[in-house]
Amino acid sequence: MAVGERNAKNRRGIRAWLNPYHYNAERWAYFFQRVTGVAILAYVIGHLGDTSFFVGGPTGTGPSPSAWKFIGSIFENSFGHLILILVVLVLFFHGVNGVRLILAEFGLILQKPAAIEYPYRPKGLGISQKAIIYVGIAVAVAAAVWAFLVLFEGMG
Amino acid sequence: MKESRLMLVQYVTAVAAVVLVSFHLVMQGVIYPYTTAISYDNILSVYRNGFYAIFLEALLVVVLVHGFNGVRIILQEIKQSKPWTTWVDVGTVVAIMITVAYGTRTLVLAVFGGSA
Repeated sequence: MAVGERNAKNRRGIRAWLNPYHYNAERWAYFFQRVTGVAILAYVIGHLGDTSFFVGGPTGTGPSPSAWKFIGSIFENSFGHLILILVVLVLFFHGVNGVRLILAEFGLILQKPAAIEYPYRPKGLGISQKAIIYVGIAVAVAAAVWAFLVLFEGMG
Repeated sequence: MKESRLMLVQYVTAVAAVVLVSFHLVMQGVIYPYTTAISYDNILSVYRNGFYAIFLEALLVVVLVHGFNGVRIILQEIKQSKPWTTWVDVGTVVAIMITVAYGTRTLVLAVFGGSA
């Protein structure tokens, strides 16, 4: 295979993320870390926009109770709260999985390399990384339930 | 800045974000009930408390640097060429500056602006 052809094969870009064929837990975590990261950034930018209405929005000059009431009337409802619950869900997964990635980057949760044997599972990943991924999912679900209770308790 | 240094920035801001976002969430649903936390009077008192104002500014900078640097890393993974790298790096810095400026504007106007 020519060098150019080999490089093109290795540069599948974003399509490689979207192909779940032969994914293991770590690869799914890689995929979701990026997807949740972009989603959280989109939310943060939107949150900067909605909180700016506390001072009257983009053209405001100071604290404005009427503008804050206006933006609250748009987002403080069941749909807005559902979005916040989803944000909390992905935020906690992203956070716990991010800590796993940092620990792995500094070699703290990697196992010793071993000879490659069939069925060719990556032995360096070990059980601790998978455990943190599952803990991340559990923590994210628990946090989403907490967010549900906090947000919908105040709606009654 | 070297890529290794930028990855270190990503990890440091990640750890800082975990701490700051956790505190932010506690403020929104544990210390105060949610409906109280988002009330106009409570937010005004939070913005005008020196400690919380500095906390919110730190949260703003840490989260945006981490978020946009993360997008930069994704974009650099997708394609590699000199012009692409340059444009992505410049775009990241510009995006961070614009969003931090807009968020800081809200904070400054909330603290020093006159009531409408």
